[in-house]
Amino acid sequence: MQQVHAAAGASRRRLLTGTAGLVAAPFVIRSARAAEAVSIGVVMPLSGANAQFGINARNGVQFVADQINAAGGIKALGGAKIELVVADATSSPTNAASVAQRLITQNRVLAMIGAFASSLTIAISEITERRNLPLLTMSFSDEITGRGFKNIFQVVAKASVLGKAQLDLTMQLAQAAGQKLERIAIMYEDTAYGTSQSGGLRAAAKAAGVEVVMDEAYPLGITDVTPLINKLRGANAQAVFPVSYLNDSLQIIRAMRAQQIDIPTIGGAAGYVIPDFARGLGPAAEGVLSISPANYDLAPELTEPFRQRFGYFMVHEALENGVCLSVVAEALEKTGKADREALRDALRGHRFETGLAKAMTGGAVQFDATGLNTLSEPVMVQWRGDQLVTVAPGHLARAQAVWKR
Amino acid sequence: MSRALVALALLAAALLPLALESEGYAIHVLTLALLFAALGQAWNIVGGLANQMSLGHAAFFGIGAYAATILQIRFGLSPWLGLVVALALGGLAAALISLPTMRLRGHYFALATLACGEVMRVIANTAAPLTGGPAGISVPFGAEGVWMMRFEGGRPIYWLMLGALVVVTVVFEVIRRGALGYRLRAVRENIAAAEAIGVDTARVKLQAAVISGALTAALGVLYAQFNFFFDPDTVFGVASISVRIALMAIIGGIGTAAGPILGALIVIPLEEFANAALSDRAAGLSQLVYGAVLIAMVLVEPRGLMALRFSWTFRPRRASA
Repeated sequence: MQQVHAAAGASRRRLLTGTAGLVAAPFVIRSARAAEAVSIGVVMPLSGANAQFGINARNGVQFVADQINAAGGIKALGGAKIELVVADATSSPTNAASVAQRLITQNRVLAMIGAFASSLTIAISEITERRNLPLLTMSFSDEITGRGFKNIFQVVAKASVLGKAQLDLTMQLAQAAGQKLERIAIMYEDTAYGTSQSGGLRAAAKAAGVEVVMDEAYPLGITDVTPLINKLRGANAQAVFPVSYLNDSLQIIRAMRAQQIDIPTIGGAAGYVIPDFARGLGPAAEGVLSISPANYDLAPELTEPFRQRFGYFMVHEALENGVCLSVVAEALEKTGKADREALRDALRGHRFETGLAKAMTGGAVQFDATGLNTLSEPVMVQWRGDQLVTVAPGHLARAQAVWKR
Repeated sequence: MSRALVALALLAAALLPLALESEGYAIHVLTLALLFAALGQAWNIVGGLANQMSLGHAAFFGIGAYAATILQIRFGLSPWLGLVVALALGGLAAALISLPTMRLRGHYFALATLACGEVMRVIANTAAPLTGGPAGISVPFGAEGVWMMRFEGGRPIYWLMLGALVVVTVVFEVIRRGALGYRLRAVRENIAAAEAIGVDTARVKLQAAVISGALTAALGVLYAQFNFFFDPDTVFGVASISVRIALMAIIGGIGTAAGPILGALIVIPLEEFANAALSDRAAGLSQLVYGAVLIAMVLVEPRGLMALRFSWTFRPRRASA
């Protein structure tokens, strides 16, 4: 460690002599953890394009960890505290894999939670699967539980299911308002998330006999959406389904409003369901719909403390990542030992109904043989002021949807 | 550096993993550093000897990674054979890219090559049936075996990367000391003068580009086997690959065999260390520190850290000033 500090000291000579140490030194992280604490890795994109989502997700996990620790830790392990090891996955799968490796061997984590973006999660899962370490995630991609891996757990519905629900629930809302949808527009960013979710959307449209009059991919970080919106104007669609992260979603809605296109807009989660969306758009956000794998208003008593602590509502990525930790804690209570393989076996099959897991649709979490949470059901949410209200499906709805044709 | 010193360093590098935890983090970082050292060295053939600042080496890297992985998935082809295919495809791609861009100089060459990498990224994102599109592609997970390049623990792939670095460095040194090296340096110093003394500059540049591209593609295959998963934005990325490759040589010292090795052994662990030490503090702080240190390195010695070493060796007064 001495050499490492010397390198940070930045004298040129010492920098070079310190190099050897830097290279070989296994990077010991200062961690004054109690002997019995349970280390859980939290790998999120804390820098780069998805940083805001990563920070939200980290807050969600932190929220649950603090609750568990305040309530006396893991009782079956003699009151062991949960210790989070937070690491930045950046936006590159190569870095995400390195980080995962580090958490396993340096920090001796028992399980990992991460990493928001599907490509990062998949990269990490290649490491965790080979090391038999449970990885819990709220990434959507179908690939995640589609590869026959034994150590991965997806707490939300898959992208294709989300895409299908995005269309099906919209059809229901339109029908309830007396409109039959016949022509829709799809636009999505060409990322893993955008393509797989739009795939589900497209397949559902075909199955429902709805014509897709516009089907456009655009690059992530698009700077001018005007051509896209011009095309939308010409397409004569009755509703538009944009699937994107935050910046694109703001641009798309702004450009639509500027051109006075006010057909119903049904976003694909991500950028459409975080406070920054309403903050960035102001009144233009009102009434925008989005699909979401979960919503905070389904369990206000569990999510309100989050708002009080962090100052914004418990966005779905915070909620679901918190659920990941909640599920791990309950599984540890069940096995009574801090062993990764015992933990993995305890995760599978059991119905998790304590803590934040109750806030998921279905009121619980249960993983099937592939690691998918079979109880998760996507919901449709709508912006009302600075709040997101669940409006579909019927049995979960908290309010009637506003549908403008 | 004397031969004995090189042999000693090599022996130490080969024995080092035995002292480290087999599936540990340190070995993972070192393997990554060796990979980027080899990539920087392959880049050095064009960027260092001929001073053709390519920012498009991701094109070859990605072609290698994709070609071998797709062949492995579809036809069960061994990555060792994939290496051969990658060498051929990388060389071919380099020739194709080199033909229209070789007359460009300086920034124009850099921009043109940058565009080539970006074009490949867009193609890989679009050709989803072949490449898996933006969702990325995973190397098949199965039983261990040398033939399929699947190993127990982290040591074999470390040795594989070390071997790759040795091969690329030998190729670089052979070129540098040989006729091609002199011709490339003639091109670098003054292209008109090189033409005047009878150097076929177009041909020399093409040769260098093909060798560099082929080696880079082969390293792409090893990367795929090391990281198990990649997507177009990773292997064809400007920041993640193209600039990083060039960075190794630039930080270490362009045009010298030790430059990219030194660069990679500093830059990669530095990046990891910044992430390990700082990423649980303020979000993004680790990247900021990493970037700031890189900027400081280039400001302190624009010729690379190798130059720094020489200036200490030969002019100690200047260094202490």
